[in-house]
Amino acid sequence: MNFSLRTKKGHCLLLPSAAFFFCLSLIPLSMLVVFSFLDGNLNSDGSFPGFTAANYVRMFSKTMFARLMGRSLLIGLTVTLICVALAYPTAWGIAKVVREKNRNMLVMLAIVPFFTSQLLLIYAMMVILQSRGFLMSLMGWLGAADPSGSILYSLPAVVVVLVYEYLPYMILCLYASLEGIPDDLVQASRAMGAGRLETFVNIILPLSMPGLLSGIMLVLIPATGSFVEPGLVGGSGGMMIGSLINSQFNTVLDMGYGSALSFVFLVCLSLIMFMIRALSVKANRAIGGMA
Amino acid sequence: MKDKAFNRAILIWTGLVYAFLFLPIAVIVFMSFNANKYGALPYAFTTRWYVKLFTEDGLLAAAGLSFGFSLAAAFTAMILGTVTALGMRPLTPSWRGRYRRFISLPVVIPWLVQATSILMILNFIGWGRSYIGMFLGNTAVITPYVVMLTLGRFSDADDNTENAARTLGARPVRVFFDVTLPKLVPGILSGALMAFIMCFNSFCIQYYLAPFGVRTLPIEIFTLVRSGYTPDMNALAAVMALAAAGVALLLNKMGYSGKKLMNM
Repeated sequence: MNFSLRTKKGHCLLLPSAAFFFCLSLIPLSMLVVFSFLDGNLNSDGSFPGFTAANYVRMFSKTMFARLMGRSLLIGLTVTLICVALAYPTAWGIAKVVREKNRNMLVMLAIVPFFTSQLLLIYAMMVILQSRGFLMSLMGWLGAADPSGSILYSLPAVVVVLVYEYLPYMILCLYASLEGIPDDLVQASRAMGAGRLETFVNIILPLSMPGLLSGIMLVLIPATGSFVEPGLVGGSGGMMIGSLINSQFNTVLDMGYGSALSFVFLVCLSLIMFMIRALSVKANRAIGGMA
Repeated sequence: MKDKAFNRAILIWTGLVYAFLFLPIAVIVFMSFNANKYGALPYAFTTRWYVKLFTEDGLLAAAGLSFGFSLAAAFTAMILGTVTALGMRPLTPSWRGRYRRFISLPVVIPWLVQATSILMILNFIGWGRSYIGMFLGNTAVITPYVVMLTLGRFSDADDNTENAARTLGARPVRVFFDVTLPKLVPGILSGALMAFIMCFNSFCIQYYLAPFGVRTLPIEIFTLVRSGYTPDMNALAAVMALAAAGVALLLNKMGYSGKKLMNM
């Protein structure tokens, strides 16, 4: 028997949000398909000037789109890999090595960038990387590089800034699942003669797989779709697919083509997201819901 | 002995990663007190950039606008999110999962795609770039946080107290206000706080949906960053990093550690 209010009228409470997200998320995303056939821009009263397949012809006949899409995915993957490499030992350190009382503080610190403006993080990194800035002066002092040079306004700068922005997400996701691994399990494995590498491959990695995959999702998707970073620190050679989409809406003002680009980009990312989700389900099943 | 060396290596690695994360912010804070306009050394202590920040209108006006706007959006998200969480409670776990995925679409999809698709719809219905459009778009992006944090409060405790209250003769409405709601309050407030800060910082949505000529703080910062090093930006960044640390501390005090926030 259940006495509470919730069983009777519960579902009605979903109506406002269902309507809200239907109008602001589902409809706009599906209407992108329609807008992608738009010839130029909408008229000022919202009516269609006409439909055309030219946007798609243009997208696939020139190499621009494919090149930028490929480069963006490559940048996204590079950023994700660097984040995993940096974050894994760190998350392990926070979860298992540091003292209990420091743990909470480190986790809290990792949250701070999450609440800081994305633009200020980019700005902070720009100040570090700029010529005669902190890093270059240090390099110059060490005799490793000319202090008036800088990697700013190039592709590597985009990667560094993106890693800086998204690393905390990866640390937190990995920490969340590493922290749940019982110490006895690791000790048992070591006591029974497994080496450090063997224990990692057989115990720690499978158990942390769900956290790893959600971290990959949280880093790969936004990093691939970034347009602010390439615009600010990428220079002329650092353009990404996001920059191309953004320019259609803010400088070139060809919103039909912009919508087509947005839509194809969304389809590509959705495929990746589905793949990660499928892997995630599999990983969860493999460890029987543990961690 | 070998384990000890391994652990020490892990600690050094952790230290280096944290240095990478926080050194840039530390440099900005340090430079915000430097008198030189171009951030050059020698270092001379000054607070004039802070005075400039709080007396000249540009950034302060934008901050004021963003504050009021984010307050309105976060309040709406708080109400909508709480109602949604209450509605999701009776669903079976699989339907709850499905509904959760549906409403967190705006968080999962890249902001750029989200922003462009909403802009096109707004153009289509004739509203275009407008306050109402920016408000709706931003609310959509932040409401999922309130839902997740409020929903998390249900699993923390079981229904026994509610059932007990009912058995003891309390009316359903009374049970809701005296038992259910107090249990949810920490989740609702933390969710609203998070929604507020997300909205305050949400550049992409505002860049696309703000009315022409209207400059919220993220848009104002974007124009400044494009022009390079500015000392009052340093002061602003220091203030905002401090505020972010404050929010993280507050959420932690309310029982939302980083682990819980990531498990959403």
